[in-house]
Amino acid sequence: MSLVEVEDLTVDFWTGDGWANVVNEVTFQVRPGESYGLVGESGSGKTTTAGALLGFRRPGSRVRAGSVRFQGRDLLTLRPAELRRVRGREAALVPQNPTTALTPNMRIGDQVEEALQVHGLGGSRSQRARRVLELIRQVRLPDASATARKYPHQLSGGQQQRVTIAMALACEPKVLVLDEPTTGLDVTTQAQIIDLLARLRAETGVAILYVTHNLGVVAEICDRVGVMYAGELVEEGPTERLFERPRHPYTRGLIASVPSVVRPERTRAVLHGLLERGELPPGCRFAPRCVFADEQSFAEQPVLEEVEPGHRVACWHWREIPPLAETAPGEERIEPADTRDGNGALLGIRELDVTYGRSRGLLLARREPELVVRDVTFDIRPGETFSLVGESGSGKSTIARTVGGLLRPLDGEITFEGRNIARTVESRDRELRRRIQLVFQNPDASLNPRQRVGRIVGRPVELFFGLGGKELAARIRRLLEDVRLDPSFMRRFPHELSGGERQRVAIARALAAEPRLMLCDEVLSALDVSVQATVLELLRSLQEEHGIAYLFISHDLAVVRSLSHRVGVLYRGELCEVGTVDEVYAPPFHPYTQELLLAVPEIDPAARRAPTPKVDTETAAGPAATACPFADRCPVKVGPVCDVEPPPWRATSATHAIRCHIPLDELRSKAVWPPARE
Amino acid sequence: MLVGSGLLVVFLIVSVTAPWWAPHGVAETVDTPLMGMSWAHPFGTDVLGRDVFSRVVNGARDDLFLSIVSTLVAVVVGGIVGLVSGYVGGWLDELLMRVFEAVISIPLLVLALLAIAAAGPERSGSWLLLIGVVVLVYAPRVARMARSIAVDLVTRDFVLAARLRGESVRSIVRRELLPNATGVLLVEFGVRAGYTPILIGSLGFLGFGARPPSPEWGLMISENRDGLLAAPVIVLAPALSLAVLVIALNLCADGLARYLGRQAVRTP
Repeated sequence: MSLVEVEDLTVDFWTGDGWANVVNEVTFQVRPGESYGLVGESGSGKTTTAGALLGFRRPGSRVRAGSVRFQGRDLLTLRPAELRRVRGREAALVPQNPTTALTPNMRIGDQVEEALQVHGLGGSRSQRARRVLELIRQVRLPDASATARKYPHQLSGGQQQRVTIAMALACEPKVLVLDEPTTGLDVTTQAQIIDLLARLRAETGVAILYVTHNLGVVAEICDRVGVMYAGELVEEGPTERLFERPRHPYTRGLIASVPSVVRPERTRAVLHGLLERGELPPGCRFAPRCVFADEQSFAEQPVLEEVEPGHRVACWHWREIPPLAETAPGEERIEPADTRDGNGALLGIRELDVTYGRSRGLLLARREPELVVRDVTFDIRPGETFSLVGESGSGKSTIARTVGGLLRPLDGEITFEGRNIARTVESRDRELRRRIQLVFQNPDASLNPRQRVGRIVGRPVELFFGLGGKELAARIRRLLEDVRLDPSFMRRFPHELSGGERQRVAIARALAAEPRLMLCDEVLSALDVSVQATVLELLRSLQEEHGIAYLFISHDLAVVRSLSHRVGVLYRGELCEVGTVDEVYAPPFHPYTQELLLAVPEIDPAARRAPTPKVDTETAAGPAATACPFADRCPVKVGPVCDVEPPPWRATSATHAIRCHIPLDELRSKAVWPPARE
Repeated sequence: MLVGSGLLVVFLIVSVTAPWWAPHGVAETVDTPLMGMSWAHPFGTDVLGRDVFSRVVNGARDDLFLSIVSTLVAVVVGGIVGLVSGYVGGWLDELLMRVFEAVISIPLLVLALLAIAAAGPERSGSWLLLIGVVVLVYAPRVARMARSIAVDLVTRDFVLAARLRGESVRSIVRRELLPNATGVLLVEFGVRAGYTPILIGSLGFLGFGARPPSPEWGLMISENRDGLLAAPVIVLAPALSLAVLVIALNLCADGLARYLGRQAVRTP
């Protein structure tokens, strides 16, 4: 008996000049107590489908056909009053962004209580208050009564998400709908939320519908997975089976696109092109991007076929799809980058201290500077990729901006090609500005919306090389080709491009200056997995062609592993481990590196990690009060020495060093790696 | 929007062509003073016996031209100052904004009168002075608006990217900031242009604007107010023209704002 039965759900959106199909004949069931994952790229219709589970229809949309039966009742035909009795009480939503989902001027306790109150549950006032505290404890928030009196802004993002989960659980619903609940969170916080959800499920028996683009998270928490493409469910099956032996080329491509922290090598670039809603063929909607597609795929729509019990796929050619480990024609296998031992540093950073909040106005008194980056030392060799990883607030971007000259360091030395460059862009010479280029995280913000692509890419060429007219146009064309974009894009505006294309334009702009060092600040995090994989490929090949060195900033340890030569792990503005990729991703680990690595959800069933002790920690930004910044969070803390004395750098090799009080041998014996199978 | 621009087009045509088809000259005494509506004089004749209809249609040019030119100058000056100030920041921004706030805190009309008084009697009534006054009154307001856009834009990555290339202040303001501010500035222009005729009319009415025998509407209302009882139409005609012009300009501004707003939604 199913709890929720979605049958032939078809939803259209009004686009201004006609109805566009967003969800097409989607059918699936969620059983009581089950955890079902819905995955797909942006625009695949997964959020719309999830909304239908709460009887929600976006304004300007229509349900053309189908039903969503919740315990036998069709939610799509219920009257608003009846629907309100179901929503929150029997089916509850955990939204994506807790910061906007919580009312800023209402105490946490009151918000949770409100969830009970609107459904007239919880009994008397004192009973309700007790229940609120119980819920806050249930989501593992510290000191329930104190937390209940706090306001949302006094909590961190992870804690806020716990509050929204508590609110959703308030009326003991039968199903929780989670829409990308961990997308804005750090890996470690994400791991804690996922852990919490797994425990809550065990405790309360609530069913979960989990919507996400993160396959790793799905592999961690879901029993069954549905893969959506262009509004259709293309594959569905038990999580283990689906990830082990995906049958749909799209699923296969998605899985292959995700880099792994455990195994650096993978099949790549399986997903060509992009989802273009305007050009869907009458047959299989994935056909234009598929290497296995033939005439039948384009002409006839495949139906879901059972491959093995519980595993269904909508593809004409599922029998021909090779296992993940084999490469199909048209695919190539990418080996991990080899370590470069160039001689001499291109960029050298010595004991760098950076601070924000220097008094700007005349009237403000000068305060003791708070260091955002403290005592950071590393170097980058020509043609090498050096990555900085860490949680948000660890100072990664600050370092990139300081190197780029947007911030003036408080202290320390930055050398580039042997020259000291520790000053802002305005006082650097043109040649230097040309040689260091920055690519930003979000291409929506880094491209001027009122300039055409040609202008955006052409401007550095004009400025640094003084080209004009035909020469300029030819150069722009070549740059666009370099980043695998069609030269016709010159005439377009940024909003006419997709996210991945925009990021390519941003890269082309940096490339236009022919830099020797490119600062890549989270350049992949705003992109879909499959797009990420292609941009990653692009960065790699550009490095080979042009010999550019990258300072790669990321919070994604798997991406870092697949691209970098050397890695620095940053915590609260201080480096705690530096080494080559192979060294950093193998024992001995700094306790923080270990924590980060274990927090990364792994999709490969063979590489699934053992359950790890997850301490309820919250990311702290800014400088630490203790001598070792990690001391108050460290699961293997030695003792008071960690609070008082700065830890020493311990070198394991000429290239690898860990900054910790614990001797290397002990760190090695404590390491949990490779992650054991559950 | 359609009604607004339609009306505006009528005003434009009237203002440009009036000298050719207006039955009488603006300063010509043609009949007995203070006559009511008649076929010969549709809007009657004023205290000096001049044809009000001819004066109203000829006055359109003065009011329309003055309003649009002075607002345009105010928006251009204010916009550029505001963008530069917002981008450069620091003490320059601080100083400019405090000064502008001081200027804005003085009531509109008082400030305008003050400026005219300061300019001295020999210049009073000249078009240049009137334009200058409108610029003085409006530019600080526009500048503050432009600055707020610039302050929002400077933190955007594309401006950072331009800074990293080492672009000059001029080039950043012109290439990166201005194109993103044009929409708001256009709306600002529309809204301001809607108020300018009132300001100019008020000045005229108080005797500090255009000088007689100019057919400026505000001045005309002032001159004819003694005849209000004898022939109401001679006051109502310029007053209504002024009102309709203001409404037309405001309708246009609203339409423009809505159109640009829709565009902004479409291109996130």
